[in-house]
Amino acid sequence: MSPQVEAAVTAAISAVLRDTGRGLRPIEPGMLLAADLGLDSLDLAQTIVLLERTLGCDPFRSASSTTPALRTVADLITIYSRTLGQP
Amino acid sequence: MNQPPVDDLADAPAEDRLAAAIAGIAGQDPARSAVVTAAGSSGRCSVDYATLAAAVSRLEERLDAVRPVGVVARATRVESLLVIAAACGRQHVPVAFLAEDSRDLVGELRDWIELDDALEVPPAPASRPRREFDTVPPPVVVATSGTSGPPKLVEHSWDSLLAAARLAEQWHGLAWLLVYDATRWAGIQVWVQALLTGGRLVVPASRDPDAVARALVEERVAILPATPTLLRRLTASADRSLLAEVTLDRITLGGEAADAPLLEQARLVFPAARITQVYATTELGEVFRVADGRPGFPANWIGRALPGGVRLSMRRDGELLVQLSRDSAEVGTGDLVERRGDRYEFTGRRSDVIVVGGAKVLPGRVEEVLRSVPGVAEARVYGLPSGITGELVAAEVALADSLPEGCTADGVRGAALAACRSVLEPHAVPRILDIVRRIATTAAGKTPRRPTLSPHP
Repeated sequence: MSPQVEAAVTAAISAVLRDTGRGLRPIEPGMLLAADLGLDSLDLAQTIVLLERTLGCDPFRSASSTTPALRTVADLITIYSRTLGQP
Repeated sequence: MNQPPVDDLADAPAEDRLAAAIAGIAGQDPARSAVVTAAGSSGRCSVDYATLAAAVSRLEERLDAVRPVGVVARATRVESLLVIAAACGRQHVPVAFLAEDSRDLVGELRDWIELDDALEVPPAPASRPRREFDTVPPPVVVATSGTSGPPKLVEHSWDSLLAAARLAEQWHGLAWLLVYDATRWAGIQVWVQALLTGGRLVVPASRDPDAVARALVEERVAILPATPTLLRRLTASADRSLLAEVTLDRITLGGEAADAPLLEQARLVFPAARITQVYATTELGEVFRVADGRPGFPANWIGRALPGGVRLSMRRDGELLVQLSRDSAEVGTGDLVERRGDRYEFTGRRSDVIVVGGAKVLPGRVEEVLRSVPGVAEARVYGLPSGITGELVAAEVALADSLPEGCTADGVRGAALAACRSVLEPHAVPRILDIVRRIATTAAGKTPRRPTLSPHP
């Protein structure tokens, strides 16, 4: 997992939590997006737009069948790392 | 006081009136200023009626000699556009005005000649088709503004172009500010109105709020036709001491819906000005006016004939339908209205609706909430495509020049999001909120509803 991608993902999720008035909390790769962080589909859509701005790509725009499972923070980091060719 | 020969004008065919009015005033009062460009700046330039009339006759002679199939007005100077319109009308030559974003449509006007500021009609080669003087009046072709869709060419008659002009004596000899693009329907209406009544068309050096305010003051402009977006920028951002010197009699709003806070703000900044809201579309022309200073229109206007024969009705989804006269078809306007007390208010364009996970969001409503936050000067809301929810609500906010005591930009941003959360449904709360220096406006002076193409900060 690229540290640069991990930092961007953590920052994006923090921004989403702050903008929606839920306050800051530590974010770990092993956390579940929905169960642990309380992110719903709108939160996720916002995270992806923010990541497109910082990382310059949106892996979810071309809904390819190869998109892997997206349950944890680590899944998100992996998807972006692959798209950016930084395994 | 010299007045334009309006009585004679009303008898003349519509396509002759512009040239006749210019010549009429040039005869009575040749040095009267017709057009002032770069008003309020050191580059100010005034063109009088005599100069305009001479240019019209010269162009008419050349058009008559060449008889082109049509003329595309390519000129960039406003006074050239007026001359082209007047000469083409009286010579029964079809004329097209193509704004910047509709230049690609010129392909639809093959064989038409193009006239730029030099007003030189190219000599006719034998191969080029001619169009002999036709007794049928020529069309005027104008592109739609393309606020929420690609621009398209619409053919108008001179009668419909002149239909909304106010010719009564109280309208004579006034100074009109042109903040609209002179090649669009709204802009053409302003210069036609000014010239038909012997008035002065004042074009500011730019659309910057201070430049507009300076032009209003220095030229003692009486009438300001503007979109709510342009008026909001002017009242929110222009220099206060300049605004205090403005001597406007009347503000005519069109192109977008004006909300109650803007109308209130305009009353505070320009207490002496009467505010009229004009409802018009490029396709239909002017449909009705509301002069009571309140947003929307009276609820009892729906379902009965208004003076002039216009009939308003509503589709089930809230879209306003217009029937111009008993014999004409009912036309969908694309504008959504909603009953609020004894009024119907405009809530937005149907095509501007943002769909988030299947739920609809009206951007105008979100903008209203954002603008109500202390420290926010202007706001615009648009949909961003999302692979997860279809679209996402995004917003840009421009801050007031002076923020409330103890407030930071970040604080205003947080307050704006909190305000949205407290009054809007969760899917309507902006998920992307950028602080920008200034909200861009479209060439038509409206708030754009599409994401900008430029990268975000």
